[in-house]
Amino acid sequence: MSLLLASVGFGLVTSAVLAIAAVGFTLQFAVTDVLNLAFAAVMTAGAFAAYLVNEAGASIWVAIVAAMAAGAVLSAVLNYVVYTPFQRRGAAPITLVIISLGTALIVEFGIAALAGGINVSYLMSQGKTHDLGGLILTTVQLIIIAISLVVMVGVYAMLRYTKLGKAMRATAANRMLARSCGIRAGRVIAITWGLTGALCGLAGTVFAIDVGSFNASSTDIFLILILAAVFLGGPGNAYGAMLGALVIGLGTEVSAAYIDADYKYVVAFVILLAMLAVRPTGLLGAAT
Amino acid sequence: MSADALTATGVTAGYGGDPVIRSVTLRAQAGQIVSVVGPNGSGKSTLLKAIAGVLRMSAGKVVVAGRDLTNAAAEVVARSGVGYVPQVDDVFAPLTVRENLEMGGYLVARSAVPDRMEHVIEVFPRLGSMLRRQAGKLSGGERKMLAMGRVLMLAPSVFLLDEPTANLAPAIARTLLEEQVTTLARSDAAVLIVEQRARAVLAVSDYTYVMGGGELRLSGTPAELTESPAFVESFLGGHRDQAIQRSEADDHADTGKA
Repeated sequence: MSLLLASVGFGLVTSAVLAIAAVGFTLQFAVTDVLNLAFAAVMTAGAFAAYLVNEAGASIWVAIVAAMAAGAVLSAVLNYVVYTPFQRRGAAPITLVIISLGTALIVEFGIAALAGGINVSYLMSQGKTHDLGGLILTTVQLIIIAISLVVMVGVYAMLRYTKLGKAMRATAANRMLARSCGIRAGRVIAITWGLTGALCGLAGTVFAIDVGSFNASSTDIFLILILAAVFLGGPGNAYGAMLGALVIGLGTEVSAAYIDADYKYVVAFVILLAMLAVRPTGLLGAAT
Repeated sequence: MSADALTATGVTAGYGGDPVIRSVTLRAQAGQIVSVVGPNGSGKSTLLKAIAGVLRMSAGKVVVAGRDLTNAAAEVVARSGVGYVPQVDDVFAPLTVRENLEMGGYLVARSAVPDRMEHVIEVFPRLGSMLRRQAGKLSGGERKMLAMGRVLMLAPSVFLLDEPTANLAPAIARTLLEEQVTTLARSDAAVLIVEQRARAVLAVSDYTYVMGGGELRLSGTPAELTESPAFVESFLGGHRDQAIQRSEADDHADTGKA
């Protein structure tokens, strides 16, 4: 029982990190029409930006803000320099996927070249350990869960109640119709790259905090979990991504308590395939 | 005579390769319903797309209320007071009815949106009871109503309606044309409507253009056209009386499918 509760605790933390990344990824995909496999590499860039700021003596909170800024800027640059020019030339969606894969390698190897192949970690304490009815979590893990909840509520509120959020959903649903309503879709897409890039930087930093130490390729395997969560929830559906992250996060960590932990990523895809067999459009369909 | 709300001159456009429409010229005045009829593939929808900024013209000029909108982007056309209802994908399916109307009023000051929405619900009362429903789950008629309500939120000076009665039941199609489309024109806007249901749309039109093979074949008031042997021959096909009877039968057959 204690093993199960402990794994649920780990699962909640993984879900929290995964939810931030998956929501950013799926929103980006829905609005921009780019299935950006460089997302995890941008997460790493954000984590390293946070590391540089943290190493310079700033608190982890300031480092998180720096990571979000770095993620936003890098994503916006990738949009302007890489994706938009290819989209203007009529590149097919699958071509953009391959381009994003190449971009991921360039970003990742660029970071490795600058930072070296060594593992790094933030200068911060994990805080006290708390026993919450059998769930053993550190203060930092609780903060990660709290950050994720705040992000989820914030994303929900933005999409539901703000003009920008509704314009993002409208652009995602039907870009041409959105333009015919007077929505400057190009601007909405640019803002989306920035916002989801900020989420990406945040996800990278909380991921790095959660795993303790990281290097230029640490998020490679995490991309698989992001994709599983996104497609489980329904690609392009932010609320689906939240749900998918919870299922995948808990599923992988709980399974790791009972079978070899090396297979937990296989479990993620077993869950995904089983769910898609029942609901091919994902848990909440494809609409945001 | 009032000034033209919309003038399209020599519009030539297509989807790459040979143009689908060539040198099409038409105009519409405020308060008028101007229809474009013609068989499938005659280029009616392409014409509307070119005017709406959805499709690039290779030649021609579009002027709305004195402003040159030739090859302007769709959002610029909308910002110039043109409301476009495409034939398909005419609503934001994942959004609620209320959110669709809000997107229609995207360019309207936030404080004015509730009043506009109230006005739209006066014109389309049924929308009032379905504000929380997801647009993608509406019936065909409800969806068209929402699509027109969405553009009405903008209070445009020109409405572009692309086959609004397509796939609608006969009674709903008739109501939509005779009541709601005419209401749009009463708001002192010009309504340019593309339709396949010739008889039904002629009944509400002030002026009609007939397209065939990507070109304008004829134009005139409905009364002039139905008296014109050329119209009957080239558009309805055959003797006038027989053709009109056939057109009426076709209208019923089309609408009966819905």
